[in-house]
Amino acid sequence: MAEPMVKLEGIHKRFGELEVLRGVDVEVGRGEVVCVLGPSGSGKSTLLRCVNLLEPPERGEIFVEGHDICKGPGSAAGEAGWELDFVRQRVGIVFQQFNLFPHKTALENVTMAQEKVLGRSAEEARAKGTMLLERVGLGDKLGQYPERLSGGQQQRVAIARALAMDPRVMLFDEVTSALDPELVKEVLDTMRELAEEGMTMMVVTHEIGFAREVADQVVFMDGGVIVELGPPAQVLDAPREERTRRFLGLVLDR
Amino acid sequence: MQEIIDQFFDVGFMAEHFDEILEGFWVTIQLAFVSGVLALIWGLILALLRQLPGRPLVPVRFLTIAYIDVFRAIPLLLILVLIATGIPALTFLPESVRIPQWLGKPDPFWFGTLGLTVTYGAYMAEVYRAGIEAVPAGQMEAARSLGMNHGQAMRNVIVPQAVRKVFAPMLNEFIALMKDTTLVSVIALNEVLQVASDIQSETFISAGLTLGALMFLVVILPLARLVDKLIARTQGRYTRGSHIEVA
Repeated sequence: MAEPMVKLEGIHKRFGELEVLRGVDVEVGRGEVVCVLGPSGSGKSTLLRCVNLLEPPERGEIFVEGHDICKGPGSAAGEAGWELDFVRQRVGIVFQQFNLFPHKTALENVTMAQEKVLGRSAEEARAKGTMLLERVGLGDKLGQYPERLSGGQQQRVAIARALAMDPRVMLFDEVTSALDPELVKEVLDTMRELAEEGMTMMVVTHEIGFAREVADQVVFMDGGVIVELGPPAQVLDAPREERTRRFLGLVLDR
Repeated sequence: MQEIIDQFFDVGFMAEHFDEILEGFWVTIQLAFVSGVLALIWGLILALLRQLPGRPLVPVRFLTIAYIDVFRAIPLLLILVLIATGIPALTFLPESVRIPQWLGKPDPFWFGTLGLTVTYGAYMAEVYRAGIEAVPAGQMEAARSLGMNHGQAMRNVIVPQAVRKVFAPMLNEFIALMKDTTLVSVIALNEVLQVASDIQSETFISAGLTLGALMFLVVILPLARLVDKLIARTQGRYTRGSHIEVA
């Protein structure tokens, strides 16, 4: 396989006494979709947030396009040792709680960082923002403020906002968990289209159906380590590990 | 009863001295406005310094916190006297700073402005801080994840939301500042209290002071009502709206 888009090696992270990640290795190939499953508290969200250094790991290496973004052992170097600009211009993230800017319209949410960070002109950012919002099915909501939008619509604006920065990798952190059930599909459909277009994606989710259908690899985590990793047919339908089986039993039983 | 009315509420007396007292009150308004605007700016600078991230900036944060604590702990009256007596005595300063007469205002006006700004800047920094800390952490994360640096995220995302949240408490600070301008009378600025006291000491009648108090009421009562309305409106907005606040 060619050089992986994202490579995590021996990632450790603790919050005070609690060791959330205890040596995690993952590779995500170019254009691959990796779904990360696991019970709450398994460290899957923390792992995702390590990739764009929202939670810098204590130990371990993170490579994005072969570039070490977390130089030196540990985060002792602080922000000086992190390639923040490099990683944030290549890795987009979508959050569980959307985190749209409430004082800005849908379009402004999508154009702001294009102008401030990438230095695009207002017209350029507007054109790109309009195009992306149309693509996620919100071409008629450009001027709406987030509080006027449904959860599903807000989450699609958040996806468009991340895509506007032309990321090479997209991270999705339980993006449907805060949504009413009937709004989940529209967000998953948007993500499915993105995957079909060849976007590299890391998806933390509880949507087993989505993982089975879209993922190239499924990672099952528990207790801060990877329990099982492989193609969905293997991990989801013929899990080798007892813990995986138990978790899937609980989730699929609902 | 008549004696009380004559002493405090003699309408004829008030009418007679209305122009002088209004002139004093106009100085009060100018002082409140100038120092209010400067304190708003200074307070924001302090609040932003206090929020600077990272270990290397610990000294900056420490000094900012120390400043805020110190100026909230020293009585404004004492600071005003300190400034007005101390600065003119510093012979190494140029005369235009020792005895400032900028924009045709007398030096006590500028000493008062300085005292009110350094003190209320500290108070207002705390109000801004409350607003900044009330913005959900996810906002900063989203902004930083889009590649904005700390300053860009503050300017474009956090501060605009924080300012909206603290509009009402900030107006309260401004009301307090406006009332505290009367303290500047001790360093001989001819604001409303000074003018009215002068009249009282010539006539032994206090109705001029009552008139000064009435002028404050005319300006401040509507502001106080406005604060109430704003609070009711923001509360309605944040409890009714579909916007989710993330801890």
